[in-house]
Amino acid sequence: MTQKHTWQLPVASRAAVRRANRELITTDPRGTVLVLLTTSLAAATGLAAPWLIGRIVNHVEADGADTSTVDMLAFAIVGAAIAHVVLTRFAHYLAHRFAERSLARLREEFVDRTLALPTSVVERAGTGDLMARTTGDIAVVGGALRDAAPEVFVGALQTLFILGAVFLLDPVLGLCAATGVGALWFTGRWYVRRARDGYLAEGSANSEMSETLAATADGARTVEAFGLQRRRVRAGDRSVAEAHRTRVYTLFLRCVLFPQVDFSYMLSTCVVLVAGGLLYTNGQATLGAVVSAALYSMQLVDPVNRVLMWVENLQRSSASLARLKGVAEAGTEVPPGGHPRDDRLEVTGVHYAYHASYRDVLHGVDLSVRPGERLAIVGPSGAGKSTLGRLLAGVDRPRAGTVSVGGVPVADLAPEELRRRIVLVTQEHHVFIGTVRDNLAIAAPAATDADLLGALAAVDAEWVHTLPAGLGTELGAGGLALDAAQAQQLALARVVLVDPHTVILDEATALLDPATARQAERAMGAVLAGRTVIAIAHRLHTAHYADRVAVMADGRITELGNHHQLVEAGGEYARLWRSWHGA
Amino acid sequence: MRLKAPHADPGVPDTQSALRYLLWLVRKQPGRVCLGVLFGSTWMLVLVVPPYLIAHAVDDGLRARDMGRLGLWTGLIALTGMVNSVIGIMRHRTMTFVRLDAGFRTVEVVIRHAVRVGAELPRRVSTGEVVSIGAADLDRIMRTMTTTGPGVGAVVAYAAVAVLLVGISPLLALVVLLGVPALLLSLGPLLNRMRETETAYREQQGALAARAGDIVAGLRVLCGIGGKDRFAERYRRESGALRDEGYRVGAVSSWIEAVTVGMPSLFLAAVTWLAARMTAAGEITIGEMVAVYGYVAMLATPVYFLIEGAQDINRGLVAARRVVRVLTLRPTVADHAATPCPTRAAELHDPASGLTVRPGELLAVAAASPADALAVADRLGRYVDSDATWAGRPLATMPVDEVRRRILVADNDAYLFAGPLRHAVATETDHDDHEIHAAVHTAVAEDVVTGLPDGLASYIEAQGRDLSGGQRQRLRLTRALLADPEVLILVEPTSAVDAHTESVIATRLRETRRDRTTVLIATSPLLLDLADRVVFLVDGRVAATGTHGDLLATEPGYRALAYRGSEEELV
Repeated sequence: MTQKHTWQLPVASRAAVRRANRELITTDPRGTVLVLLTTSLAAATGLAAPWLIGRIVNHVEADGADTSTVDMLAFAIVGAAIAHVVLTRFAHYLAHRFAERSLARLREEFVDRTLALPTSVVERAGTGDLMARTTGDIAVVGGALRDAAPEVFVGALQTLFILGAVFLLDPVLGLCAATGVGALWFTGRWYVRRARDGYLAEGSANSEMSETLAATADGARTVEAFGLQRRRVRAGDRSVAEAHRTRVYTLFLRCVLFPQVDFSYMLSTCVVLVAGGLLYTNGQATLGAVVSAALYSMQLVDPVNRVLMWVENLQRSSASLARLKGVAEAGTEVPPGGHPRDDRLEVTGVHYAYHASYRDVLHGVDLSVRPGERLAIVGPSGAGKSTLGRLLAGVDRPRAGTVSVGGVPVADLAPEELRRRIVLVTQEHHVFIGTVRDNLAIAAPAATDADLLGALAAVDAEWVHTLPAGLGTELGAGGLALDAAQAQQLALARVVLVDPHTVILDEATALLDPATARQAERAMGAVLAGRTVIAIAHRLHTAHYADRVAVMADGRITELGNHHQLVEAGGEYARLWRSWHGA
Repeated sequence: MRLKAPHADPGVPDTQSALRYLLWLVRKQPGRVCLGVLFGSTWMLVLVVPPYLIAHAVDDGLRARDMGRLGLWTGLIALTGMVNSVIGIMRHRTMTFVRLDAGFRTVEVVIRHAVRVGAELPRRVSTGEVVSIGAADLDRIMRTMTTTGPGVGAVVAYAAVAVLLVGISPLLALVVLLGVPALLLSLGPLLNRMRETETAYREQQGALAARAGDIVAGLRVLCGIGGKDRFAERYRRESGALRDEGYRVGAVSSWIEAVTVGMPSLFLAAVTWLAARMTAAGEITIGEMVAVYGYVAMLATPVYFLIEGAQDINRGLVAARRVVRVLTLRPTVADHAATPCPTRAAELHDPASGLTVRPGELLAVAAASPADALAVADRLGRYVDSDATWAGRPLATMPVDEVRRRILVADNDAYLFAGPLRHAVATETDHDDHEIHAAVHTAVAEDVVTGLPDGLASYIEAQGRDLSGGQRQRLRLTRALLADPEVLILVEPTSAVDAHTESVIATRLRETRRDRTTVLIATSPLLLDLADRVVFLVDGRVAATGTHGDLLATEPGYRALAYRGSEEELV
């Protein structure tokens, strides 16, 4: 049975995230330089039009009717616009490639690290957190790299270029244009500080609302059966209320920011016009320079807006990046290895707790399993059966005492060595996305098709011959869906291919319906022949035919012996057996 | 105009068509939409003013070196900017509320309808479709609302610019007013192509995400059986393929981005050229040239709104169609309410199988095929129309609500809703902690409650995803016991729990349901042995009836079923 785990996978520190951000740039210096170069050039060409209009103004103001110079200047505007289109294209393209490359690197590294996690970590952390990181966080970081980062980068660069251009025209006007943006600094900081949490809350309230909707539709039969209509409507209304609350908050943030952004660039334009007017009147600036500066200030709104809108998204993604990078810190301990002299399993004085601060779930278990023996472990939920099974399979280490095979601690064995000796079969029969062949070959990379078909035949999986493409048939997500019994047969065929000395069955058929379970149990008979079998039993008939039965209660083995001995002993086992048999 | 959500009564939607549904969402908030149109139009109109004012500031102020008039015009620009930033935020605020009202109202009517349709809904609509309503469709429906405010405003602003341009130069007006929409319309096909390449990329991206999820879901298998290298290698290959596909998307999308930004500026350049020549020829003033530049630059905003709006409506209609499809579903079991339910506990009979349930008994039904037993449960629970009778009268014509309250079919597919444990096991009526603990005790689910950090207040994920199969099953049983119906039909209530627990559940269940009618669909001897009577179903018909002991002795098929696999050696 599953226990509650409070142990969590690590999350990378702020410093580690900063390092990861730096690495994005340093591992791809050529890409970084190219993006920087093209984006700068694109921003520069975008500045041409207002500047050239200023020149036209000066020209017309100076000598009225010379169309040819005006034509040349206007032609330059068109030329700059074309150059702007082409350069913008390359800037976007290179930024896109940079993002795709970085993202591919990040996700591959994440999957590698995930696969390198020690079994005990996977068991302890559960797959829920990892799954959230895999599906959610990769997407968030991907979105940030592909959309947010270029927007913020381009926006910031354009802002700098525009301000720079005004400075070049006239430093005084440059200062004037900068006042508006400068005034935004404080509001911007105020906004960005609150936006992250605000939009995070909005996002989670949103998904809560759609989950409530989906659950109500999905569970509509249950709603009808239990008369839960009013409760579901209330739950829906509550999720709407929460979504509303979070939306009103982010709306409030925007209500503060937007008017100030809108107004600030207008303010810049006004200050530039007035200051420009004074300069022009005093002959310190040309009319064209003033007009250009005014047009530039009006252009500021777009890039500034873009930076403010996307910075929040970029911030949010750093939390995701921290979770992706955190997996690497979960440790990649390599078991020391060892060479067992035989296949005898020994459990001596074993104590176990899920966490150092938790109370023990096993209290001094001793057990010896000889090669070829068939042992059944029975007992109520929470007695520690599965925990003992996992220790026997080397998935985890005991807190005190030893679990060893042939004199070597099971958890010390290298994964390849371990799986040749002991394999744990649970009720989770994962079918991987891929062909039947892919699903089996993980157990024996060198196996031929004949070997694979042989393994399937051994577990009675004759259905493989009726599949449209035999071993090449695609399974899972979009492919063929196997039923529970077939999935179990697939799992058992893997065990046949791994060919371990010892098989530990942890309630392997518990989740199957009775007819399916019968079929699966038949298949298992073939797999188990000639191996040491430890069956954590769900139904008592499993125990009946075992060589020995261990009854567990409260983390201890309370009865141990063969079926007849235990029935005669008149303990808990005997009582159950009688009620089960209707005797 | 503030929004109160959730609505006390979301109203009755118009489900005759997707368009009518969208219009209904507009009609439900006439005041707010009118306000949105007002703010949207004013905002867009005022956007036209600054270029006009700047033109005057340049001509009358700067060129004339008249600081007084320059100050006046500049002051007006500042004032306009201030006024419009206020109008702009009023527009944004109003339109946000218009969008939210539409979105929230949709959630509310869909949920209210879903609980009315009940059992029929999951049969007719896939989970994916419903999830899509909650995720993407809602957003799209909300976006269509934008066209009501700024959409109208865009048309008004466009007309205003037309009038202003005609005043400066009819030729320029013609070029600009025809050119800008033609330009933006020409982007349409390009945008469509981008959407196609992006769709291909998204599919591949989805497949890669599924691969990563698959690796995580099967991580325990990979740890135990091996094959990590194969999966790492395969993921790397597919990730690389997605990156290359991403490059291809980038090649197209970057052109579109550049053209979207660049084409207007190219057009702007062409118009500026024209205007510059006119200025040089003295046909228009410098200020007017600056104004033309400003107008053309500004026109992109309303036209962009119009094109976006057209696309939003297209996508919104597709989304609304899905919503309307759910909203038009009707329950299959017709509620005639022609026959009253029996006033007291009465005999249930299912002619299709020949099964009879006597009032007050604990009846076990053992079926060789699980599907047969489920069919019996569906008929007795009135989830399908059948010839079943209650107190000799046809069940199919009795009021559904009362039947649901008095006969409960509790199966292992029953949905566990997310929330505090106390709510996860809730039924129609409220239960105090004492009652809940009593039901938890009967279902032997104490370890579930004590194993959670906050007992009954602990949060349970939807479908009890964070619990084991056995724990989920006992929570479902707890809920069924809390409902405490007159007739309780339990389908394999203990199939995922161990023998010890099962035997305890069996004893407590018998005690709790004493004098109430209980039907246990089960094959476990521990449960069968406890029943007053056991019915053995073969091919959907009653083959034998008796006590567990009787049937064991007389029916070899029953014996084989109850002691499945006993004849074969497993361990």
